[in-house]
Amino acid sequence: MDESNSATRALQAKTYILLFLMMALGSVGNTVLDKGMKNLGPVDFSSRSAIWQGLFHTFTNGTIWLGILFMLLFMVCHMLVLSWADYSFVMLFSALTYALVPLLGYIWLKEYVPVARRFGIILIIFGVFLVSRTPPRTTQPISGRSAG
Amino acid sequence: MRTALILGFVVLTGTSGEISLTHAMKQIGEVKHFSPADISYVLLRSLRQVWLWIAVALMALSFYAFLTMLSWYPVSFVVPATSLAYVAGALGAKFLLKERLTAIRWGGVACISLGVALAWTDPMPALVHLHYWAAVLRDVLLFAPLIPLFFYAFGAWAAWRFFRHSRATNSNPNDFTPALSILKPLHGLDRGAYDNFASFCRQDYPAYEILFAVGDDSDPAVPVVRRLISDFPQIPIRLLVNREIQGTNDKVAKLCFLARHANYDLLVVTDSDVRVAPDYLRRVIRIFSDARIGAVTALYRALEAPSFGAVMDTIGSLSFSSSALIARRLEGLKFTMGSTMALTRERLAEIGGFEPLLEMHSDDYELGRRIAEKGYSIELAPEPVDMEFPSEGIRDYLRHELRWLIGLRHIRPGGHFGLLMTQGIFWAALAAALAGSWSASAVWVAAYVIVRLFTGYVVGVWGLRDPVVRRYLWLLPLHDLFWFFLWVVSFGVNKIQWRGLAFSLRKGRMIPVASRPQRT
Repeated sequence: MDESNSATRALQAKTYILLFLMMALGSVGNTVLDKGMKNLGPVDFSSRSAIWQGLFHTFTNGTIWLGILFMLLFMVCHMLVLSWADYSFVMLFSALTYALVPLLGYIWLKEYVPVARRFGIILIIFGVFLVSRTPPRTTQPISGRSAG
Repeated sequence: MRTALILGFVVLTGTSGEISLTHAMKQIGEVKHFSPADISYVLLRSLRQVWLWIAVALMALSFYAFLTMLSWYPVSFVVPATSLAYVAGALGAKFLLKERLTAIRWGGVACISLGVALAWTDPMPALVHLHYWAAVLRDVLLFAPLIPLFFYAFGAWAAWRFFRHSRATNSNPNDFTPALSILKPLHGLDRGAYDNFASFCRQDYPAYEILFAVGDDSDPAVPVVRRLISDFPQIPIRLLVNREIQGTNDKVAKLCFLARHANYDLLVVTDSDVRVAPDYLRRVIRIFSDARIGAVTALYRALEAPSFGAVMDTIGSLSFSSSALIARRLEGLKFTMGSTMALTRERLAEIGGFEPLLEMHSDDYELGRRIAEKGYSIELAPEPVDMEFPSEGIRDYLRHELRWLIGLRHIRPGGHFGLLMTQGIFWAALAAALAGSWSASAVWVAAYVIVRLFTGYVVGVWGLRDPVVRRYLWLLPLHDLFWFFLWVVSFGVNKIQWRGLAFSLRKGRMIPVASRPQRT
């Protein structure tokens, strides 16, 4: 019984660590990409040479590459966590970013948050709380194929 | 239309991509250690998974469509609208990845979808975007009948597969014939009771006994069983009076009592109104030669319909058979039906015997569910049994259908609510009302009638070979109309009437509410 409890705790711990890492990398990656694209200015699609020039500027920009690196790391965490956890668990848990972005905007940037949005944030957090009350894995692991 | 199409595309490609990615990663297996070498090994292995590349392609398509949507509409509309992906993802996880979504997780899906929609909708500009929402809602409602129509068609396909396979394998010889006990709890007399009971005495089966249980000696079934004992002296038949075990569910009380007196390890329980063919036991028992089988149940058909209520009842059983065949195909049966519940004592002991079901309303459903929960399969007998439906009026029919729906709401609230998406007549009528032209309305109504009757024909006439369905198939839309109204009413009623007594239901258990009989 103790062994089974410790295995469950270990599974939950690594799931939550990767989920929070994934959310952090995703949020930072998006912000860095956003900042990089804004620095470049609007992309000009008026001619073929303008498109190529836009692409050249995009992929020679250090900020964009930093954003891509964060997004790649996000993807790696996403793939690793899906190797054992339920998709329905990961998908719902990662919705927390939708609540965190306006919440952090309110805390750090003192942005105004309308009532409906506050209610939405509470609902998301409550929904994630509900999901966290369920086991991260409900399917049987595929035996004999464990990696690592 | 453009709005709904792009929204559907974003949601479907995104969800399919995520599901493909999950499938790919599950093929590789759980990552147990987080060393760079192990992570690199997993990532390299994932590159060899076809599903990973399918996932990448689908997610790229979804991302491109999402950007396109952002170029057409404001972000305060796009993000809330795409929160539908949580619902689609949950459905995909349940049906494609076979994940177990409990009521709590579904609650999470509902809160998060609504929360994302609210958190990202700009309150004031949202009013300006109301016409987008109205357009999306209208498009969704216009195409919503496709879901029940697909459900009906899937039912026809599942029936075709099941009956074709069972007829092809039914003629194979089988020597697996362990001795068994047939258990018959009785309460009063059904139409054709003697013929029903006698059909169990004419079985082409080497060794079996039949045990009948009544509540007291004055039960009208007693003389009929005594006549049976005298007419079939070669069959060990016993009539027992249960004075030992009492329970809210009288049928289960008698089953507990009968199981204690049965001589054999294999038990076959059937309702008193069931009539069977001489090869019934052989067909049912042969399934137990597979050790993974926990219980066998059977579909049923009507022998005749003496009243309008019985006709509606028969047509209802065709709809139920269709749903059972769909459930069997999608996730395997997780319930049994009173028409046949065959199981071994060993499996019965694993679920604690019949005793835990003493207060349950839907004892047949519960028995199968508990066996399935232990990891065993529930299988259907290859042929349906015959049933003598009671000669009831329309009021009695409506009352017992309502009782069944209330029972379902208490034991499977999600499944009960999900019946909404199988109500073809409602969605077709709604789409016809919104269609905007007579021809489009007529198309939806015709599509419903054609697909519904086709499914009814395949399941009821070709599959079940039900003579009543053959004659009255055209009444199927009327049954659907009754069924829809009963489903709506079932949300507001908690009391049921069972053999003259009133009960309320709590988590599937029957709680007596009054000494005087009350109407549902």
